[in-house]
Amino acid sequence: MLIEYADVFISGLTNGSVYALMAVGLTLVYGVSKAFNFAYGSFYSLGGYLAWVLLAGIGIWGGYISVFIIALPLLMAFGYVTEKLIVAPLRSRSDWEIKVMMITLGLALFMDNFYQVAFGSRMKSLPPIVDGVWDLGDIVISYQDIVILVLSVSGILAFRWILNNTRIGMAVRAVAQNPEGARIVGIPKDRVFAATFAISTVMVGAGGVLLAQKYFVSPTGGWDILVKSWVITAFGGMGSIQGGLYAAFILGMLEAFVGYWFGMTWVLFALFAVLLATLAVRPQGLMGKWG
Amino acid sequence: MLQTTELNAFYGQFHVLHDVSIHVREQEVAAILGPNGHGKSTLLKSICGLVDQVQGAISYKGRDITGRPAEKLVNDGVIYIAENRELFPEMSVLENLKLGAYSKNARPFEKKNLAKVLELFPRLEERKKQLASTLSGGEARMLAIARGLMSNADFMCIDEPSLGLQPNLRVEVFNIIKEINKQGKSILLVEQNIPQIAELADRIYMLEEGRITFEGTAQEAGENEHLKEIFLGM
Repeated sequence: MLIEYADVFISGLTNGSVYALMAVGLTLVYGVSKAFNFAYGSFYSLGGYLAWVLLAGIGIWGGYISVFIIALPLLMAFGYVTEKLIVAPLRSRSDWEIKVMMITLGLALFMDNFYQVAFGSRMKSLPPIVDGVWDLGDIVISYQDIVILVLSVSGILAFRWILNNTRIGMAVRAVAQNPEGARIVGIPKDRVFAATFAISTVMVGAGGVLLAQKYFVSPTGGWDILVKSWVITAFGGMGSIQGGLYAAFILGMLEAFVGYWFGMTWVLFALFAVLLATLAVRPQGLMGKWG
Repeated sequence: MLQTTELNAFYGQFHVLHDVSIHVREQEVAAILGPNGHGKSTLLKSICGLVDQVQGAISYKGRDITGRPAEKLVNDGVIYIAENRELFPEMSVLENLKLGAYSKNARPFEKKNLAKVLELFPRLEERKKQLASTLSGGEARMLAIARGLMSNADFMCIDEPSLGLQPNLRVEVFNIIKEINKQGKSILLVEQNIPQIAELADRIYMLEEGRITFEGTAQEAGENEHLKEIFLGM
C-alpha cells in the first residue's frame, strides 16, 4: 500500500522541483518589474525544441551536457533581447502592465505557430537524460527522475546564490524591494529588468529541457506550463520567491496524487480548486503581501 | 561647485519650481528653508536627476548636468538622501550600505568607506546584521545618510535630515552632518528647523511657492523680518 504511493510521491517531488524552478522565474520577473510574461510557456517549449534540434536534429556529441552548455546561453540571450525589443519600450507608457501582457501573448502565439511551421504539429520525443533504474526491491526509481530532481534543485540553489551573493543579484532584490531607493543609489533599472527577464527565460527553458523527454515537445505544449506556473505563482503569493518554492512542491505533489487517484484529466481542475479555496481565505497567497 | 540657473520643474501639469537659481560652493553647507509643499524636495530631486521634467540649467563642477539621470549622477559624485529614507527593508544594514556603493566609481572605495561610515555611526555597526525594516526611526535616518556616504559622492543633497526625530537625535544628526562637511563634502540640505540650521549652514535660501524669496548668510537670515515672521510667527 505505502509502497505504491512511493512512486507517486517521487513523481510529485520530481515534477514539483521543475515547477519550482520555472515558477520562481515567473514570480521573479513579476516581483521585480511587475510585468507578467504570457509567453512564458512558449519559452518552455523553446527549451524543449532547442534540445530536440541539438540531440535529434544535429545529433550533437556529448548528449545532454552539450545541450545545457549550448542551450542555456542561447536562452539567456533570447530573453535579454526579447525584453529589450518588446517589453522595455512599453515601460514609459501608461497602463504598460496590460500592454506587456498583450504583447507577450502575441509573442506566444507567434512562437507557437513558428514551432508548428518549422517542426510540424506532431509531438517530438527525446531520449532520456540517463537510462536505467535504481532498484530498491519494492521501490524502483528511474535514474532520470533523480537527475531531474538534482538538476532542478541545483538550478534553484544557483539562482538563490546569485540573488544573495552577486552584485546583480543584490541589485535585483533592491529594485524588487524599493524601486525608488534603487534609483537613488544609482542602480540602472533597465539593465536589471532585462537581466531578470533573461534569468527567468533560462529557468523556464531549462525546465523545458528537463521535462521534454518525460512529456514530449509540441507547439502548444507550453500553455499547460504557463497555466501551472501562473497557478503556483498566485498560490505562493505574487512576487514571493519563497512562497513560489513551497507552492511548487505542494502543487507538484497534489498533481501526482490527483493524477494517480482520479486520472490526469482532473489535475488542472484540482489545481484551480485548491487555488480558489486558498485565495478565498488568503487573497495574497501563501506568502504574498498586500498591495 | 553646483549651480542651478533659472531652473523650472514640473510634475505632469504641475509647475513646481519657477526660475530657481542657487549655487553651492566647494565644501560649503547650503540650506533651503521654506514651508512644506513649496518645492524644496523637488529642487533637490531635480538636481539629483530624479525628476523627469526639468527646464533651465544645472551645472556641477563646471559641467552641464541638466537632464542627466540619477544612475549617472551618482557615478559623477552627486547623491540624494531621501526624506523618507528609501531603504531596502528586507535587507540587512550591511547590504543596504553595500548597495550604497553600487556605482562604478564608488566600488573601489567600498571597503574604506564602509570602515569610515561604521566609525561615524557606531549604532549601525551594532545593528549590521539586522534587517533595515527593524531599525528605529533615528537609526533608519542614519542608515540613509550612511548609505549616501558609501557612494563616495562629493556633493550630498540631504532632504529634511531631522524630520520626525526627537530633539537629542536631531542634534546627533546635525553633528554628523557637520562632521561629514568637515571631511570635505559639499552639502545642500532642506530643513524646516531654523535655529539649528543657522549654526550649520554657511548660506541659506528661502523657497516659497517654488520661488527663491531670500538668499543670505545664516546671520542675515536671523535678522530678516520676513523669515522670522514665517518661522517664528513674530
